[in-house]
Amino acid sequence: MVANTELQRVELSGWRTGLANLLGKENRAWWASRRWLVHSVLWTVIVNGMVAATVFLLAPRAGQDPLGIGIEMLFKFGGMALAIGTVVLVHDATIGERQLGVTEWLLSKPVSRPAYVLSKLLAHGRAVLVILVGLQGALGYGLLSLIIGEPLPLPPFVVGMAGLAVNTLFYLALTLMLGVLTANRIALLGASLGVALIGFLAVPLGSTVSTFVMLTPFALIHVLPTAVLGLPLPLSIWVPISITAVLSVIFVAVTLARFERLEF
Amino acid sequence: MNQSNEMVIQTDGLSKAFGPVHALKSLNLRVPQHSIFGFLGPNGAGKTTTMKLLLGLIRPTSGGGTVFGQDIVRDSIAIRSRIGYLPQQPRFGDEMSAREMLHFTAGFFFRGPKAGIEERVDETLALVGLADKADRPIKGFSGGERQRLGIAQAQVNYPDLLILDEPTAALDPMGRRDVLEVMERLRAHTTIFYSTHILDDVQRVSDTVAILNHGELVAQGPIEDLLAGGDKPVYTLSLKGDARLALARIEALPWVSGVREVAHNGFVTWEISVTDDQAAEAQLLGHVLAGEALTVVEFSRKKFELEEIFMSIVEGGTDGR
Repeated sequence: MVANTELQRVELSGWRTGLANLLGKENRAWWASRRWLVHSVLWTVIVNGMVAATVFLLAPRAGQDPLGIGIEMLFKFGGMALAIGTVVLVHDATIGERQLGVTEWLLSKPVSRPAYVLSKLLAHGRAVLVILVGLQGALGYGLLSLIIGEPLPLPPFVVGMAGLAVNTLFYLALTLMLGVLTANRIALLGASLGVALIGFLAVPLGSTVSTFVMLTPFALIHVLPTAVLGLPLPLSIWVPISITAVLSVIFVAVTLARFERLEF
Repeated sequence: MNQSNEMVIQTDGLSKAFGPVHALKSLNLRVPQHSIFGFLGPNGAGKTTTMKLLLGLIRPTSGGGTVFGQDIVRDSIAIRSRIGYLPQQPRFGDEMSAREMLHFTAGFFFRGPKAGIEERVDETLALVGLADKADRPIKGFSGGERQRLGIAQAQVNYPDLLILDEPTAALDPMGRRDVLEVMERLRAHTTIFYSTHILDDVQRVSDTVAILNHGELVAQGPIEDLLAGGDKPVYTLSLKGDARLALARIEALPWVSGVREVAHNGFVTWEISVTDDQAAEAQLLGHVLAGEALTVVEFSRKKFELEEIFMSIVEGGTDGR
């Protein structure tokens, strides 16, 4: 029988207590199974499949500029699809565990509440950034470069990818926050997807994005194609990116504060 | 060592209200070290609420408590590092195997060496009889297997205190027997605080009990004391002969609070409630035998069944309302 004294005890470390173990579990759920592969294929078909179909099939028939419409599809349609994907993927992370009693069990161990929230944020954040944003961005870059027959200018594309990443993390933070504000799955999905869809539909399509709209997170996916193509905008692209990032941080802060008070 | 040091759990006026519902009313609980402490009460009595308060899963409305002398609100993480907990309906992440789940649980307490942790996981699986199912996904486990896995995860860290919420509720008689045997084996190393509805289990393994009703503690103490009637002892006396005058004599004694005739089959049997057990044991027979020619067939302190006590407390006047 192994003696208790032979085992090295984990030191308690304040708000970080339990974080490494929880993060390991969340990461294993993504990367030690086929989950990453399934989602990589799925989102490639949805995002870059649509980009490819548009630039190779629809644009030539409609006589449109394939690069312009390809960038529009990747950043606007892709941004929207990735936001919805993030909501659907992440909504179960807190609410599902709460409903099943898994959260209660985890919090009966030496785990700080911030560690629980941060493990969800970091593990799912890494997964959506790699699979949803990074992979789709890399494939999209290759596809668009193929269309013009040379590498797409990298700096504006990277700015566009940064915007896409922030937009995706915004919906991740929003979903996590709603997951601790409500225990109702339908309310959570309705509110998260509602924000994404209303933002997408409410901001005017086309060329006229106003200064006011650029001060909301909803503008981001609408203005990213313009920024990537190097066309003028009412404000710097960094304004909606920064606003969206700040709102995401606020959502995380609300999540941490609210989760600290939750009872299980 | 003072009294509070000997107590693993100590609560003082611990209360919890959920809106207008007072789930727990000013609980003063004392759980001694190395006891198997049975926490009894009907559904909704506040047992699970108490356990969740001790674990920091919910916050007290008023009052407080300590576990290992540490505050249940301020020092919750430190307390939980020395506790093992089995929830009432254990759910642990069904995608994992039993071994993976125990490795994950051990990861909250131990950082190495790897071989030592592996050995500890194997020991724990063997202890609860799940060694042959170690690599099967939990989602295929029966209710009893989940319960045994729940006990395994609760004690993988060599806890100083095990809190078990209805550990035998979902088990068949053999599963119950196995779990009670595990609890008895762990008694030497840890304190076990568990709730249950199964009074036979309590009488079999517990050394200390508390009964909670409508959020109030209505009885607490060593099970032997409780079964002996606590502060209301009852003596059984069987006599042969004409006992009418003897009855009058003992009814007149100041420390006799009641006499009930329970049988009359050739001899008379009384259950005599007293307020002073020492006086009863020293003087009762002397008073009975002072007059007529009577033969004492039996004289003993009545041993109650736990169910009798539980039902009289829960259904009787001491309902805490």
